[in-house]
Amino acid sequence: MMTSLFREWIVRCWGAIRRRRSDSDLEEELRSHIALAEEEARRRGDAPERAMRTATIHAGGVAQAMEMLREQRGLPWIADLIRDVRYGCRMLRRNPGFTCVSVVSLSIGVGATAAVFSFADALLLRPLPVPHPDRVVTIGSPDASGRNLVASFRDYVDIRDRTRTFDGLVAFNSFNAAVATHPDGLPKVHIGVLVSGNFFAVLGVDPEIGRAFRPEEDAVPARDAVVILGHDFWQHEFGGEPAVLGRMIDVNGVPCTIVGVAPAHFTGLDQYTRFEIYVPLMMWPRVVRSLTAEPFEARDFRSLTIKGRLASGAALRDAQTELTVLAADLARAYPATNRNRDIAVRTEVQARVIQAPPLVGLLAMLTTLAAAVLFVACANVAGLLTSRAPVRTREMALRMAIGAGRRRLLQQLFIESLLLSALGGVLAIGVAYAGVHVFRQFQIPTDLPVVPSFDLDRRALLVGLLVSVVSAVLFGMTPALRSTRGDLTAVLKAPDAFGSGRLRWGRALLVGGQVAVSVTLLVIATLMYRSFQELIAHGPGYRTDHLLQMTLDPTLLGYTPVQAQQFFDRVAERARAVPGVKSIALASSAPSDIGPSSGMTVLPDGVQLMPDQERIRALTSIVDEHYFAIARIPIVSGRLFTASDSATSPRVAIINEHLAQLYWSGQDPIGKRLRVGDSNEPPVEIVGVAKTAKYVALSESPIPLVYLAYGQHPQKRMTVLAESLGDPKDLAAPLRDLVRGLDANQPVYNVRSVGESYRMRMVTIFDVVVELVAAMGIAGLGLALVGLYGLVAYAANRRTREIGIRMAIGANRTTVLLMVVRQGITLSIVGLTVGLCAGAGARYAMRAAFGLGRDIDLLGFILVAAVVLAVTLLAAYVPARRASRINPMVALRCE
Amino acid sequence: MVLQTLATLGPLHGYALAGRLDQVSRGALQINMGTLYPGLMRLEQRGFVRGTWGVTENNRKARFYSITPAGRRQLVAEKAEWDRMSSIIHRLLRGEG
Repeated sequence: MMTSLFREWIVRCWGAIRRRRSDSDLEEELRSHIALAEEEARRRGDAPERAMRTATIHAGGVAQAMEMLREQRGLPWIADLIRDVRYGCRMLRRNPGFTCVSVVSLSIGVGATAAVFSFADALLLRPLPVPHPDRVVTIGSPDASGRNLVASFRDYVDIRDRTRTFDGLVAFNSFNAAVATHPDGLPKVHIGVLVSGNFFAVLGVDPEIGRAFRPEEDAVPARDAVVILGHDFWQHEFGGEPAVLGRMIDVNGVPCTIVGVAPAHFTGLDQYTRFEIYVPLMMWPRVVRSLTAEPFEARDFRSLTIKGRLASGAALRDAQTELTVLAADLARAYPATNRNRDIAVRTEVQARVIQAPPLVGLLAMLTTLAAAVLFVACANVAGLLTSRAPVRTREMALRMAIGAGRRRLLQQLFIESLLLSALGGVLAIGVAYAGVHVFRQFQIPTDLPVVPSFDLDRRALLVGLLVSVVSAVLFGMTPALRSTRGDLTAVLKAPDAFGSGRLRWGRALLVGGQVAVSVTLLVIATLMYRSFQELIAHGPGYRTDHLLQMTLDPTLLGYTPVQAQQFFDRVAERARAVPGVKSIALASSAPSDIGPSSGMTVLPDGVQLMPDQERIRALTSIVDEHYFAIARIPIVSGRLFTASDSATSPRVAIINEHLAQLYWSGQDPIGKRLRVGDSNEPPVEIVGVAKTAKYVALSESPIPLVYLAYGQHPQKRMTVLAESLGDPKDLAAPLRDLVRGLDANQPVYNVRSVGESYRMRMVTIFDVVVELVAAMGIAGLGLALVGLYGLVAYAANRRTREIGIRMAIGANRTTVLLMVVRQGITLSIVGLTVGLCAGAGARYAMRAAFGLGRDIDLLGFILVAAVVLAVTLLAAYVPARRASRINPMVALRCE
Repeated sequence: MVLQTLATLGPLHGYALAGRLDQVSRGALQINMGTLYPGLMRLEQRGFVRGTWGVTENNRKARFYSITPAGRRQLVAEKAEWDRMSSIIHRLLRGEG
């Protein structure tokens, strides 16, 4: 039975596409039936006409039977569907203007939304690449900045062994790994991560080849030199060769055996960086040699990140309750290190948001803007569809009148709308890819692969598509609903008489809204552009041209701090002799690379803070005596560092003006003493005040900063700054060779001009954001113009008769022109006003989020207002001109 | 019923089939073309009957339907099912058994 039913459907499906028995064949069979019936009736003695009649009455009509046969032959709804799609395509082709505008509108709206969401996803929302990522949370004590949760190894062990709300806790810590893939190959710097032995098991990640770490490999400090490769690293360095298992690689000079390769989908636990090699946590003291404390003993050496998988049935709240109790226990047991150390638990998204608050602001803004563009796009399509409604309603009514079913009409319009949004959707994928491409310009200037992967997010594309489909279907179906609901004859008789008031109000509102939204976007874009231009024109406060930077970290190869310092000095000395080098300075980082991670609390010596008083955190930069001259950072008062500021002389510091203002407003800070950091080191004496520059972002508000003397604060990693006579890039090769000549294995990284680094870190992001907002504003305005044009043209069209009469009784062309233009201009002025107000409001929001936005940007406002007025005038003028050319006789006759 | 008729009488064209059903049911079942031919088509689509063009005894072109092996199997199954149903209904209505 089932098989036969199945067979029937197959045959019918086939029949829907190709007819096995033609209509004529079927008809012939029916006719032969009638003929036989007639013959028999005649045999019974009926008269010929009567026989025919009896036969037909008896057998039923041929046409009805044919219809039933046709329905049985194929699948009528499939045939209808195909017919509707064909008809829909024909409709779209016949109105190319309408189709183009709708499709382009939708694709811009959906594409922009998808691109922005992909961006947000890459930076903030994408779940960890592990099974059940929603159960994985971060725990630990807030660090000094409060942005990250950290823990010491001893705390980790205590929490891990006592917790009941977690199925497992993993600890990890990333480190710079100079990896040589051959015994005497040149080491390259990669991102390594020390992981607890249960790392892969708790996260639920199975190695692609080889095995995960064994528990005993993470039991004894410094014993088991094994390593698991990240998938990308394996592909790049070994070409995906499975025979790497068992081979040795050097990690910071420690030969390690490769035991496994992580799967491709597991890129690590950080959205910015990709982990490249994994080493057991117990190897910590061997692979990281510049540790300042005993990592497995010191309870206050908090540098591990801990993530845990919540036990089934345990909520985040339960975990927090338990951890609060645990923290109290630890504080009682180890008051010296754990007093006032809360242990917090954060979900992945919470952790990311707290880590980077400005990012959240940026993403929120971009998402709002994209949503605005999507709104404008949908409003546009809605407007276009609505303007076609009267014509379509008539058509629908006509078709109803000659017997079309309501369901069929609805289906047909539904298909048409669907086709429209599907076309838009296909184009949207292209737009979204272009957008994602723009986001890829965000680069972090480093040789390490810390590039967040901006991939097109399918969910976002889907959501955008859904919105466009719903809006298209909703507005596309109106004519069918309207015509199938009401009185057919009324519709047919007076096609223009219904639905005018409400309909036009709705459209006016849509178009006004479009203008308002796009004006807001444009105001924001000009505002941002002008503020950024101003910031860029002001510059960062140090020179960025004719400077090359190059970072060295000899401790990766096991140099002691003293050896490292000697090495730096030797490099600097030799570099001064390189042709083309004007001068050389050593600094902990290039002026544009001073990251927020160098932040330390600073406090004037002798001042006691109230417990609830907030400490001031200042960035720190360790520089030698040549730094200020090379970077052209002016010293406002006091002196520069000198070669005599050494380990044996009094400890000195130079602070920036902003820090001076914070602590010694109105006084002379020279000679004052400052405590830097939590450590118990002696305070430093302030010997100079430098001009405040931009350290992290051009848009930052002034940040306090302390320069410490290189001679007094040995560093494991230093950056060589070389001032060049010509193009700084020409110095890259000789300087590399110089380092190689001193130590052939020495990894050299971040070799680039300071200008390049500055552009990548501080300028590109502005360009991208401005480009983006401006693109959205222009797209929005373009869409709004089309909407306005459509509305005015539509209104003028409906008033053809009225215009005809007016002209017949003496109105001249100018009057008519003004009358029609006035309609459009009123709308655009209302939209403009609303948009400008919203833009002014947005300025405050932007200032709050980014510290941007000047007090008054009249010029920007005037510019936007003028442009919008001019183009909307044009959009209204074109249809108005056409209306004024109406020949009154023709206009009146056509009705 | 169509299958039963075809099984007992052999290949028939549509009109003869209708006449036969009419005759067997003593006029209770008057089937018009709109019912008969879609029904035949469905049976043909399910593979129970096969239709071929032929010529009647009076030299008229007509489409003759014959039962297929699958049709015979289906007939047996349907008959059994009908017997089962009718006996159930019979028992229910008469309260017998």
